[in-house]
Amino acid sequence: MEGDSTTINITETPKERKGKAPLLAAPPASSSFKPVVQKAPKGGYKRGLAIFDVVLRLAGIAAALGAAIAMGSTDQTLPFFTQFFQFKAQFDDLPAFTFFVVANSITAAYLALSIPISIVCIVRPHLVAPRLILIFLDTVMVALTTAAAGGAASIVYLAHNGNSDANWPAICQQFNDFCQEVSGAVVASFLAVVVLMVLIVLSAFSL
Amino acid sequence: MKPSALQLGVAPPENRGIAVLDFFLRLIAIVGTLASAIAMATTNQTLPFFSQFVRFRAKFNDLPSFTFFVVASSIVSAYLILSLAFSILHIAKANLVNTRVLLLVLDTAAMGLLMAGSAAATAIVQLAHKGNNKVNWFAICQQYNDFCKRVSGSLIGSYAGVVVLILLILLSGVALTRR
Repeated sequence: MEGDSTTINITETPKERKGKAPLLAAPPASSSFKPVVQKAPKGGYKRGLAIFDVVLRLAGIAAALGAAIAMGSTDQTLPFFTQFFQFKAQFDDLPAFTFFVVANSITAAYLALSIPISIVCIVRPHLVAPRLILIFLDTVMVALTTAAAGGAASIVYLAHNGNSDANWPAICQQFNDFCQEVSGAVVASFLAVVVLMVLIVLSAFSL
Repeated sequence: MKPSALQLGVAPPENRGIAVLDFFLRLIAIVGTLASAIAMATTNQTLPFFSQFVRFRAKFNDLPSFTFFVVASSIVSAYLILSLAFSILHIAKANLVNTRVLLLVLDTAAMGLLMAGSAAATAIVQLAHKGNNKVNWFAICQQYNDFCKRVSGSLIGSYAGVVVLILLILLSGVALTRR
């Protein structure tokens, strides 16, 4: 169809004027004809998913920050003492709990810093690079948070039940409040893990 | 996605390379997770002295965290073996979208499970090596040397599996953008 030498006069029907004629294609902008396969831009559902993504990130910040603060502010002193034994329980007595506080703080900070990238995804739903970055970083954060939560959970389990084979006494029977706060913090951290996994699934569906 | 002069139905050749890399990474992850599950499950050390009331034998199921670790590693290695089928399908037909998304989601869940098991086992191993004076937990590694060494070594395989799973998730994401 390059360089038509004959012009064909076609009378315009009202439908064609309104742009609803089924047989009349849009006139090409130039005389060359490129077989372009163009995907219709599906911005609708991606934008909705991106908005839900931001909301979930805020929820994740609350969960991770809550877990870190709940664990970091544990401090229980039993009301009796002797000269040689310590009857105070704090989170930094156990390295697993220290790692828990650090890892959950990192996760909360990451989620806060990733909100601008998520907003970019709302504003420009067809961009791929921010979503790919978010998927990768979310995956790394899932690994870190699960490590912290899993490690703390196994220590909490030991603290509740003890282990007779290894001669490890169950300290929760004495340090009740400490145990409750610590268990609550572990639950909050697992909630943050779930939130991060849902974020990865959302990003996968929007890719 | 930029419109370009593509023919419908033919995936870009990079996707096939990604699918092959995906297959080989899955093989590595299977070896790592299976080895760590077996290494942990076959621990059994008996100390050469005994008394009538106290047990001096260490096995993995004396500690519930290790049991969870063995179970989680086994589940993840079984999942990875089953997902090899999807991986081969992606090598053959490199422009499938739904199965890639499914594989990405399942890989994320598997990575979470494996990491949880590894972290639980790591916390107990750290306790077993160092003990904890503040809560009166004695370091059992000083007596059960072989048990400790084997248990610590099996953690390496599962952490390698976690890293490989993260790479697999990234690969699936990259392959989803090229379609």
